[in-house]
Amino acid sequence: MKKLICFILPITTLLGQINYTGSIKPGNMYRLSDQSEISLPFRLAEAEVGYSLDDFEIKTNSALEYRWSNNENEFQLREAYLMWYPSWGEVIIGKQIHAWGVVDGNNPTDNLNPYDYYYMFLPGAERKVGTVSGSVKYYWNDWQFEGVFIPEHERNRFPFGETAFPLDIPMSAPELMDEESGSEFGFRIQSTLGSNDYSISYFDGRDRSFSYVGVTDSMPSFFYRNTSVLGFDLVSFIGDFTNRFEIGYFSTENDAESDMKTLNDGSYIQFAGQVEYSTENDIMFSLQIIGSEILEIDGTTTEDEFQPGMGTPFASFTDLGLSFSLSANYFDDALELMGNTFIDLKDSQSMLGVSAKYSPMDNWKLNLSVSKFMGEEGTQFHNMADFSHLKVGLEYHF
Amino acid sequence: MNKILVILAFMSSVFSQTGLEIAKMVDERPTPMDMSNKTKMILTNSKGKTRSNAMISKSMDGNKKQLIWFLEPKDDKGVAFLKIEHDDKDDEMRMWLPAFKKVRRISSKKKGDAFMGSDLSYEDLSSRNLDENDYNRLDDEIVDGKDCYVLEITPGEEANSSYSKHVSWIEKSSLMGVKEESYDKRGRLKKVKEFTFQILMDYHVIERVFVEDVQKNHTTEVTFSNVQVDSGIDKNLFQEKNLKRLPRD
Repeated sequence: MKKLICFILPITTLLGQINYTGSIKPGNMYRLSDQSEISLPFRLAEAEVGYSLDDFEIKTNSALEYRWSNNENEFQLREAYLMWYPSWGEVIIGKQIHAWGVVDGNNPTDNLNPYDYYYMFLPGAERKVGTVSGSVKYYWNDWQFEGVFIPEHERNRFPFGETAFPLDIPMSAPELMDEESGSEFGFRIQSTLGSNDYSISYFDGRDRSFSYVGVTDSMPSFFYRNTSVLGFDLVSFIGDFTNRFEIGYFSTENDAESDMKTLNDGSYIQFAGQVEYSTENDIMFSLQIIGSEILEIDGTTTEDEFQPGMGTPFASFTDLGLSFSLSANYFDDALELMGNTFIDLKDSQSMLGVSAKYSPMDNWKLNLSVSKFMGEEGTQFHNMADFSHLKVGLEYHF
Repeated sequence: MNKILVILAFMSSVFSQTGLEIAKMVDERPTPMDMSNKTKMILTNSKGKTRSNAMISKSMDGNKKQLIWFLEPKDDKGVAFLKIEHDDKDDEMRMWLPAFKKVRRISSKKKGDAFMGSDLSYEDLSSRNLDENDYNRLDDEIVDGKDCYVLEITPGEEANSSYSKHVSWIEKSSLMGVKEESYDKRGRLKKVKEFTFQILMDYHVIERVFVEDVQKNHTTEVTFSNVQVDSGIDKNLFQEKNLKRLPRD
């Protein structure tokens, strides 16, 4: 067997190509209030390894999660998939992270993957959990047709029992009603009209977050509702401004078999609009407005009690919020400065963040960021005030 | 004697080319159907500190379609850039951002933005449309022993340029630009670019570009290696899906 491996390995390496990239990122978070350590896990190391041969490619994306306080560590295979690139498009099978939508984060139409709440404040794919799924994309002139099939429902990873976590999460996972596991599917069609890109999408699956849906045997029951999302997104350019917009119409059905249902079905919309502008000295401004509106609820659940189980997690903070960010690079990109703020336009709460990344030499970075949550009593950000923190870290990329 | 001078002046005005004619000759010179190379970019600041980038580039139709995959710095490895220039509508520019698992459409209108923090802007990387610029011929000059046409190129409004004008030195024998000065909107000298070439399969192909931003006292040196021309790149390569596929190094 060893001989066979010794024989095959050099041949496959010679015929194909191995690509790898990764990083080691030790860091820690300290409360602004008393400088105490915030004990949450973080990804200490990440590696992406790929092997390509002709029109095929195998890719893995793994991470080592670590917690300083108790030296707890866990290896996570975040993605592992096979890609095939026929002349007409691409086919991907395996555990993978999908990305739909056009705005930078807070995408209402991007529901194919659950979220990892431990990494809720990280950008992009960092906060998503890979799903075992298959996807096919077909390219035809300016058109793209994409279909995704997920055989088993995947749920958000919640930090149950984490006292350091800023959001109001139960101490333990509630007992869920028997889950109608079932499969999920979605499709997306993208095209170009003039200089604008637009797409429509549809997804049918189960909520990523559980909801209180009724009472069974005199006990509250929780369930992942059946939800479908009809989405639309657009990228347009007006003068020097880049505009990104997306909207999702969610239709959710409580198909749990509880003795008394508090909700039969409901519908809501979520939207996010973003305007970007970069100045002549390369300072990038981005303004994003995020909104959510409940359209209809059938049941005894009130609008205040209703919680969307899909869509952008920011909808759980507010029905209407404004996010503003600016970033600039200096000294040949060695120093990256960023500032961002989120303001709730309905309740009096806001978040302010500033960060600096400095690269003293190639492949090394020092990170420093401060996040502060502020809000009136009764608001989410008021409860998160003690999570206001200073984050320091080091990055080495290879 | 006066008659002879008048005749010579008349003859030279008939037989010498105008700026536009020279620009057309440059535009029509034989260029490879496609080209691929490995690019190394070294950025040097006013204190002499350097940073480097490495990438693989494939292009066709005289750079109107181009794919660039970034290899270095390591934290940018996998990022890729696709540019498709259109005659009848705005150019398309898209970036594959592996950290977001997303192809991001970016504006082609901000042509003055720096490419990867270098002294080259997206406009510097794009070809110039003859109809969108005025070409004025200046007196010929010799640069580094090369007999050159000198053109003053003024972008029209439709060019949406970040420059007010360029002065370009074009070697007469090869019709290749060997030097160019670009002036900002206020008319001040912004960049000086120098180009060197190699001959591959009867084509003159850029081997090195040296750009100095004289206002920032900053330079970028771009060198091209493993250059291949007319290798039969499929036009279907210039699709979004191939942004994700790092080619063989």
